[in-house]
Amino acid sequence: MSYLGIIASSVFASNALLAYGLGSIPAFKNDHEAGADVASKVGRGSLASAAALACVNALAAVLLWCIRGLVLAPLGLSSLDILFFALIAVPLLKALSRAAASGEGAIARIGAEAEELVVGSLVFGVALIVAKGGYSLGEALAAGAASGLGYWMATSLLESIRERLELSDVPAAFKGAPSMLLSAGLMSMALMGIDSILVRNLGS
Amino acid sequence: MNARRAAFVPNPLLAGMLGICPLVAADRSLPEGIALGLGAAICSLVLGAVAAPSRGIVPDRLRAPFSLALSAAVALLYSFGVRAYSPIVADGLGIFLPLLAVSALSLHTLRRSSAVNGSASTRERYSSIAKEAFAFLATAVLIGAAREALGMGTLTIPLPGEGELRLMELPSSPLRMLSSSAGGFILIGCLAAAYRLALRGAGRKIP
Repeated sequence: MSYLGIIASSVFASNALLAYGLGSIPAFKNDHEAGADVASKVGRGSLASAAALACVNALAAVLLWCIRGLVLAPLGLSSLDILFFALIAVPLLKALSRAAASGEGAIARIGAEAEELVVGSLVFGVALIVAKGGYSLGEALAAGAASGLGYWMATSLLESIRERLELSDVPAAFKGAPSMLLSAGLMSMALMGIDSILVRNLGS
Repeated sequence: MNARRAAFVPNPLLAGMLGICPLVAADRSLPEGIALGLGAAICSLVLGAVAAPSRGIVPDRLRAPFSLALSAAVALLYSFGVRAYSPIVADGLGIFLPLLAVSALSLHTLRRSSAVNGSASTRERYSSIAKEAFAFLATAVLIGAAREALGMGTLTIPLPGEGELRLMELPSSPLRMLSSSAGGFILIGCLAAAYRLALRGAGRKIP
């Protein structure tokens, strides 16, 4: 599979949020709803969010690819990948994010956003999908970064829909998360129209 | 009346959107709903039982990695159990079984159990965790059954090994779209709206 095909597939046909539902809580919870925390703002709009999502997902995908392919598979322990990912990769990613956050300027903003993302279904899910996808190391890096960007694209679109819906006359019961879920369903249906086999073979 | 109101625990899925990630993509049938709901409930109950006592044993610095490793271990053991009982269901759920380790319901339980809160006793806190886990299980089963019946026109229960028990079989699928992720989003959105309407009718608000 070509790199262009992998990127297009990860952004559109296999979008982390709209095809797999990964990272749903930050995408659907309103800031003013109870329980919404800093993590709910991650992934919305800013370029720092896009960079953080791409970096964290790419690094997580590569780390799990290495753990699974180079250590666990030769020992016949591939099924323990999630445990080793939690024990080795998550602390490493946290430490990297903290180091970046203690820097200055854009790197600090990216690091701070990345730290919020590490423990969540998005990063774990993308890493698992990529590690089990039969990619090479370079392809895993591209697929992880593209999945992060695909998630950012989907949440940015949903955020602009949310702003329009807040000004519209939506029935009270559908205000907030229910209307966002319906919008995500319609967006997901639109992406189903993209033929994943065609996208995967782009550029090959 | 006040005691009843104090004991009210909102549905974590329909009110708080906790744990919807696996349900959107993988809860397409009754067996998958049972497996995912039960998995999330078991992880949440185990973490709720272990997190509070471990506060005095595990140093503060190591508590987060310890909790995550414990959560991953419970999810992994549960996924082995599901694979041993029904390999077809385990294959259908794919990455979503190990992902129970970072299910929002489990992370929410960990946060609550780790928080020092003088107003609620351990028993009250665990009772509220158990109510949330049961509500999540019931909702996951409902979603799985609805998506299987309307999306595929069947209703099945998994039997040990490769077998399944067919409870219902329609000549065609009334709403095939419900089997896809898009259908999952739309169904959960409609259920969340119906839940809010029911709460409002009962004079309650999502806290």
